[in-house]
Amino acid sequence: MNRLPLTVIGGYLGAGKTTLINRLLAEGHGQRVLVMVNDFGAINIDAALLTSSSEDTLELSNGCVCCTMGADLFMAVGDVLDRPKRPDHLVIEASGIADPARIAQVALAEPDLSYGGVISVVDALNFDALSRDVQIGAQVRGQVDVADLILVSKTQNGALPTALGLPKAPVLDLALIDDVAPLILGATLGQAPKPTAEIHPAYVAWSGTGEPSTRTALQSKLDNRPKGLMRFKGFVQGIDGSDFEVHCVGLSVSIKPARNVQNTQVVGIGPKGRIDAKTLEAWWHGD
Amino acid sequence: MSQITVFEAKKIVTMDPNRSAATHVAIREGKILAVGGAECGDQWGDVIHDKTLSHAVLTPGFVEGHAHMMAGAMWRYAYAGYHDRIDPKGKLWTGMRDIDAVVDGLTEFEGTLAKDEPLVGWGFDPIFLSSERLSAKHLDQISTDRPVAIMFSNFHLMCVNSKALEMAGYDEGTNAEGVVKGPDGKPTGELQEMAAMFPIMRRLGIDFRGLSQTPEAIDDYGEVAQRAGVTTITDLFSSIEDDDLAIMLKITSKSDFPLRIVPVLGAMGTPSEVADRAETLAKSSSDKLRLGAVKLMTDGSIQGWTARVKWPHYVGGHPNGIWNTPPEQIFALCAEMQKRGIQMHIHVNGDEAAEASIDAIEAALRLHPGQGHRHVLQHCQMMGRDLYERAFELGCCANIFSNHIWYFGDQHAALTIGQDRAERMNAARTALDIGVNIALHSDAPVTPLGPLFTAWCAVNRQTMTGKTLGAAQCISVDEALYAITMGAAYTLKLDSEIGSIEAGKTADFAVLGDDPTAVDPMSLKDVPVLGTVSGGVVHLL
Repeated sequence: MNRLPLTVIGGYLGAGKTTLINRLLAEGHGQRVLVMVNDFGAINIDAALLTSSSEDTLELSNGCVCCTMGADLFMAVGDVLDRPKRPDHLVIEASGIADPARIAQVALAEPDLSYGGVISVVDALNFDALSRDVQIGAQVRGQVDVADLILVSKTQNGALPTALGLPKAPVLDLALIDDVAPLILGATLGQAPKPTAEIHPAYVAWSGTGEPSTRTALQSKLDNRPKGLMRFKGFVQGIDGSDFEVHCVGLSVSIKPARNVQNTQVVGIGPKGRIDAKTLEAWWHGD
Repeated sequence: MSQITVFEAKKIVTMDPNRSAATHVAIREGKILAVGGAECGDQWGDVIHDKTLSHAVLTPGFVEGHAHMMAGAMWRYAYAGYHDRIDPKGKLWTGMRDIDAVVDGLTEFEGTLAKDEPLVGWGFDPIFLSSERLSAKHLDQISTDRPVAIMFSNFHLMCVNSKALEMAGYDEGTNAEGVVKGPDGKPTGELQEMAAMFPIMRRLGIDFRGLSQTPEAIDDYGEVAQRAGVTTITDLFSSIEDDDLAIMLKITSKSDFPLRIVPVLGAMGTPSEVADRAETLAKSSSDKLRLGAVKLMTDGSIQGWTARVKWPHYVGGHPNGIWNTPPEQIFALCAEMQKRGIQMHIHVNGDEAAEASIDAIEAALRLHPGQGHRHVLQHCQMMGRDLYERAFELGCCANIFSNHIWYFGDQHAALTIGQDRAERMNAARTALDIGVNIALHSDAPVTPLGPLFTAWCAVNRQTMTGKTLGAAQCISVDEALYAITMGAAYTLKLDSEIGSIEAGKTADFAVLGDDPTAVDPMSLKDVPVLGTVSGGVVHLL
């Protein structure tokens, strides 16, 4: 069965995690996404999009499902993996106090999961004060420190919280983003390659093929990927029969073994203006 | 008219100041009709005299105010801990003092397993072993073709053998945090935190959900309790789905079930959702299953350096711990529960967490004034005079983690909070002097269930190396026995029904081989438990 990509959405109470999830569920991204949330009551789906709803599960006409995670998050992940038909992508909303990386690490450890990254949501109105709070500040800052992508909510005139400083992970203003799905899910593999096609006007998507590679060469190439490449994934053929599945999100690189890769195929995505297909093409095929 | 049975005992320690000692107790319909001499029941009608317990000393059945249901079912797995322990069936598991002993002990256990069964152990605690770290290399000595996984006592770490590593696909190429690697770049077998342990648990079928609320787990809990003289126990942070509730009601209503269980709902979700669920559950309460209270988590543990502690924080420069519930949420939960009249049990290990919780209760009481809430601060390990004064002012109870003094006292002095604050940990003397109602607990399976041992800890404050940690905080045997009976019953709002042996209360007794009030206080932990009486039904071991 397919490896299930897992993305974890972190951020303190009230940062805007639920709003982000509501946006993701309503967008027409064409993927069957399963979202596990903390506060089921706050999920707000247009009734016209709902095909069924029960005490702990909402099913949407676009194939997405939203459910509560119950008492044991990891057991719930196990239950999803054991389903006869896995969803295309699993998104977990971490609790407002959780270290989202602690959850996302499971995607690096579990062979049946692939790493979809940690996205931390930061509230522009409150982050400065929260990050200085003597009781909770260290934990709030920690959620941002572990992020692969930082999304800032509630900005006014594009001003970012000063306490964010200059983090290594890319920072994006949610007010300037029309579709959040490409950031959370990435581009989809396996569709007919659309050279330099734009999956959304705000993003640049690129897909590539390439020569077989060794793990060392692959690792080195990924370590030197262009800035602005938010998400990158695909299957890479090795030279000695050991093939690879690759996932990069923000700063993270995950390489896992794969079987029977006939042709190397990779896709990348980034916000327009920060990246272009030419740069990506040159990077992938360069030395 | 129901049958009246008069039990004779060598001595009955009643915890009722009106008649502190007796030799006979008359029982009808599972309740205490009269206490005194051989003729105590005569004025109520014809009696049958029963000498089954005439060789024993009776006390009120012990009440464990902080334990977890998995304390019984953990024994499905092999014990690999440092201290001697006795399982629900009465079998002694000798403590394993070094890695060779762990390997030998588990090799013996391995021989009892079916061919396809994984070997799963629990209770291993590296804080007590100064030698090298446990690794796959050691566990491979037990078996190379059967997966072996040893869960550490803190549940945050495990060590597995090469077969298990292979099943989870862990090798040089694995780059997950928590999959510890050696100098050769290969996984050592040590796995840290749930994310790294999950692939093993999934493949070996290790399921901690299954250790609570299944019929077997509930029966095991009953057996563990009976062996410790406990007749009422909590399950303090329970998820309690409807299916779980049906099973618990069914098992606990069996006429020979020896235990009253108080499952306390874990506060997960919004305050109003938690309160709604607690109110719904309360309606299902029965004699042996008491529902309706909620448990709040606040910080972590002191020995794991995750408790929130005030200045000067931890020795050795460890960063301060973590909040499992942020202070603002603690305030919101306290306000809602106080408003709805729902009793809270609040986990507070570090003093910063205790202070935040007391602040939250004070704020909740200002919003929703009301007496009789009896909110209970649980663990209270670092509460000093100032915090106990405030707890008393607010009408809160304290359930103190006295077992820590023996199990972790030396480590607390040397490695966590330092000598000064270790000496005033679990300050039962201060709490009693101020007038706070206290209970004492084991947090089983974190430390073994055994109220007499817990009382011994509070009385003697001995550490594992034989030091007395903070003699000024010792309490008397009578005070400790009161805390494990009436004191704990009070924290569960059950003091009108249990906790003492007096007319009108439920006939719940601990059946002991000696008089705990007469033995040397240093021998309190060695008083034999012969069984229990639960609702008038005798359950001898």
